[in-house]
Amino acid sequence: MTAELLRVRDLAVSFATEGGTAKVLDRVNLTIGRGQIVGLVGESGCGKTTLARSILGVLPRNSAQIGSGSIVFDDADLLKVDPATLERTVRGRQISFIPQDPYGSFNPVFTIGSQIMELMKWKSPELNDRQAARSGWLPRFHGRQRYRADRQRVLEMLAAVQLPNPDAILAKYPHEVSGGQRQRLMIAMALLTEPKLIIADEPTTALDVTIQAQILKLLRQLATGRGVAVLFTTHDLGTAYEICDRITVMYAGQEMEEAPSEGFFNRPSHPYTSRLLRSLPSNDGGLVGIPGEIPSLVNPPIGCRFHPRCEYATEICCSQRPEPHDVGVDHVVRCYHPVTEKPKQAVQ
Amino acid sequence: METLRFVAGRFLQDRVALIGAVLILLLVLAAVFAPWLATHPQDVSEFHPADRLQGPSLAHFLGTDRMGSDVYSRLLYGARITITIAVIAISVSVLIGVPVGLVAGYYRGWFSELLMRVSDIFLAVPQIVLAIAIAQTLGPSIENVILALSATYWPFWARLVYAETRSIQNEVFIEASIALGVSPLRVMITHILPNIMSSIIVRTTIGMGGTILTAAALGFLGLGPPAPSPEWGRTIAESREFLPDAWWYATAPGLAIFLVVMGFNLLGDGLRDILDPKIRRSRTHDR
Amino acid sequence: MKFLVLVVNRCLWFLPTVLGLMVITFTISHLIPADPIAAAAGENATAEQIAALRVKFGLDQPIYVQLYRYVLAVAQGDFGISLYTQRPIVFDIATRLPATLELTFVAVLIAATLGIPLGVLSATHRNSPLDHVLRVITVSGLAIAAFWLAILFQLLFAMKLGWTPLQGRVDGWGPDSVTGFFLIDAVLMGDLEILQDVAAHMILPAATLAFPAMATIVRFTRAGVLEAINSNYVMYEEAMGFPRRIIVWKYVLRNALIGTVTQIGLIFGILIANGVVVEAVFDWPGLGLYAVSSILQSDYNGIMAFAIIAGVIFIVVNLLVDITHGLIDPRESR
Repeated sequence: MTAELLRVRDLAVSFATEGGTAKVLDRVNLTIGRGQIVGLVGESGCGKTTLARSILGVLPRNSAQIGSGSIVFDDADLLKVDPATLERTVRGRQISFIPQDPYGSFNPVFTIGSQIMELMKWKSPELNDRQAARSGWLPRFHGRQRYRADRQRVLEMLAAVQLPNPDAILAKYPHEVSGGQRQRLMIAMALLTEPKLIIADEPTTALDVTIQAQILKLLRQLATGRGVAVLFTTHDLGTAYEICDRITVMYAGQEMEEAPSEGFFNRPSHPYTSRLLRSLPSNDGGLVGIPGEIPSLVNPPIGCRFHPRCEYATEICCSQRPEPHDVGVDHVVRCYHPVTEKPKQAVQ
Repeated sequence: METLRFVAGRFLQDRVALIGAVLILLLVLAAVFAPWLATHPQDVSEFHPADRLQGPSLAHFLGTDRMGSDVYSRLLYGARITITIAVIAISVSVLIGVPVGLVAGYYRGWFSELLMRVSDIFLAVPQIVLAIAIAQTLGPSIENVILALSATYWPFWARLVYAETRSIQNEVFIEASIALGVSPLRVMITHILPNIMSSIIVRTTIGMGGTILTAAALGFLGLGPPAPSPEWGRTIAESREFLPDAWWYATAPGLAIFLVVMGFNLLGDGLRDILDPKIRRSRTHDR
Repeated sequence: MKFLVLVVNRCLWFLPTVLGLMVITFTISHLIPADPIAAAAGENATAEQIAALRVKFGLDQPIYVQLYRYVLAVAQGDFGISLYTQRPIVFDIATRLPATLELTFVAVLIAATLGIPLGVLSATHRNSPLDHVLRVITVSGLAIAAFWLAILFQLLFAMKLGWTPLQGRVDGWGPDSVTGFFLIDAVLMGDLEILQDVAAHMILPAATLAFPAMATIVRFTRAGVLEAINSNYVMYEEAMGFPRRIIVWKYVLRNALIGTVTQIGLIFGILIANGVVVEAVFDWPGLGLYAVSSILQSDYNGIMAFAIIAGVIFIVVNLLVDITHGLIDPRESR
């Protein structure tokens, strides 16, 4: 058993679109340690949701194409495991998911309780691996004893995510509870199956700003308490800083920098991340934007995709993507001209 | 002009709509050129008992009927009846339904409410049931079939136009025209109508198919134009006693109805996809 | 609460709608160009005799009094005497209703048990050969004239192949009438031979009626499933590793069916319309055949009675559909 839980290497994913093939992920690397909370940060459209869905194995069947790479989870390459096994023994059981949209992610015509119990019927930690691996096409019964045990787990978990009156909530339909409660339910469901990794895809974007912080704190607290690793995608560096142990920054389908949170915020080494940190509102109220536009993914710039907007870009940046190299402890950057100076002001 | 070219371009790309249009074009050509296309044009009214119930041959492409008349020639003249009934009945329905819907949608009050309730009552009964009652009371003739169909189909357009009018009434440009003191009639005709035209066109196209089916059913029940009319529904009814031997007699007119109705349905579906941007998006998804 | 308001609202509209329907049939029956009394009195009747008949039938009264009497009579189930059977029309209709209901019910059953799974498969195997074949069938189902399809079926299966009886509901007397539904009555009698015979007579008319209804169901189920399958909850259920079978046939289908239920009214309208001609072709002794016989006999009362009964059935079905929709869609009911 290695210290790394997940290791994505050289992952390339493309999508067939009307305008041509979009190279959404370009040989991306990502590492998550056991129990670690990793923030995957980038602007919308940078490929972070695609990366999250690739790990889960739920890319859109007809349009997405995995070109190369490996996704090693717990010493097994998920890209080489057959899809049926992935569905039965990995998804939901070892890797679970918290969606971006708690409004639309509950099935509107079933009660919350029946949906949670459906999850437990197939993914409960009470099941051993052999039981879980049985085909979903065979009829399966939720035995009375296991049902009771599962229901007990559910009630305890709902209390843990601080939902008042769990019994009543289980009898309700999704539209009858608030958005914040729904996201707490999603967190509960993600934790209930006792996974090793939770993929949380912008879990708070759809929520009220006032609730966002509570939910994030809750997620962090419950995950660390249980030793569950979390991959947390967000476009908000501040949020990432608050809850993540480690941060990976993506730009236009390429990861630019991976570093522990402290190191990252104190010494951003990639020109893009450095500009990104400076573009946060500073204390004196100024905002330094990044000139230029996000490139098209159908015809992306060759080499480092940031080079058209980069002030340090040289010839080599336009022809070949830099390999990752260390600039500090666990601090990896993919740039020929890493920034060495410290940013003028650090994030509070 | 730009939009027209856009629609025309999409139309040519849309195989479904194109097939529909071709089928309808064939029907129109058959009806218009019936006297020239028919091999025995006089057979609409002339009988040759000696040749009755002959199978398809070079002399009679689709065989002969119980009177010895050429089925193919009568089929072509039947197309004229079908077109006449469908076009007039639908025109009358549109001419009643669209103004009713516009007025009921534009104004609010008991009169609008009454208009819509009356259409709802008509819609509360399957069209053919009322059409049977009307056609039976008035007696079998083309005019009465047209009347029966017009009287039962207009509420479809009233409902549609009502709903569409209500939904675009709050759009800025409509509110602006009203605020500028443009007369209600002008707002309805120059602002609302053009904006709901595409829905009306789609509904009318699909309505043609339904009307042709109902008209054929009335003819089949003996409520259409009386013998010796070559109306398709009536021809099928006449053919029944000569089955199974004279299979061509029953199959030919039924196939004609099928192809024509299919033509209108396909064209309607295609037009809906082309004209309605909202549904078009969901269909690109669909592909 | 919202649901209760809906139900009460729909029920309140039931009476005015039926009343409106009666006004329409009353108006239609006054469209008769010839003077029915003069015709009924005969060619040699004197002016006095005709006037006496007018008084007898209440036709001397103002039109609103006539309408009032008409509505009152119809509300009590008095549709008059049939020229065709010489019996009260309401009696005729009561004896024929079970035949029509049985046929319609079997047709709906066939249409739903085939149409729903086919609609789902068509959506989950979008653009596959199966999908294309089903779409051709769907489009055909909505374009084919039911009476022609009925004749084609007769021609092929009854006349050429001899697999099924040509027409009728049963050979001989049929089962002892308990419910009026021959399939059930035959089972109650425990007579396998009669059951077989009844079923054999049922196949062709039921299949004819079911075809367009099935086409509609496939179409709406397919659209509903496609919409549901692209939703976020399916994405979530997949990400959490729910079995594909459960996602499609439980979670997606329930959502899609809620939409399909609202189309039952439309489907039922098609069934009633096609029922008339299909019963005529198969000599099926139900309401539709009664209507056709009334047409042949120029029996106005019979036709109007048919229009009202068919209309009321249709209105009731739509009322039930609205209520059912409210019941099965949790977003409506609370």
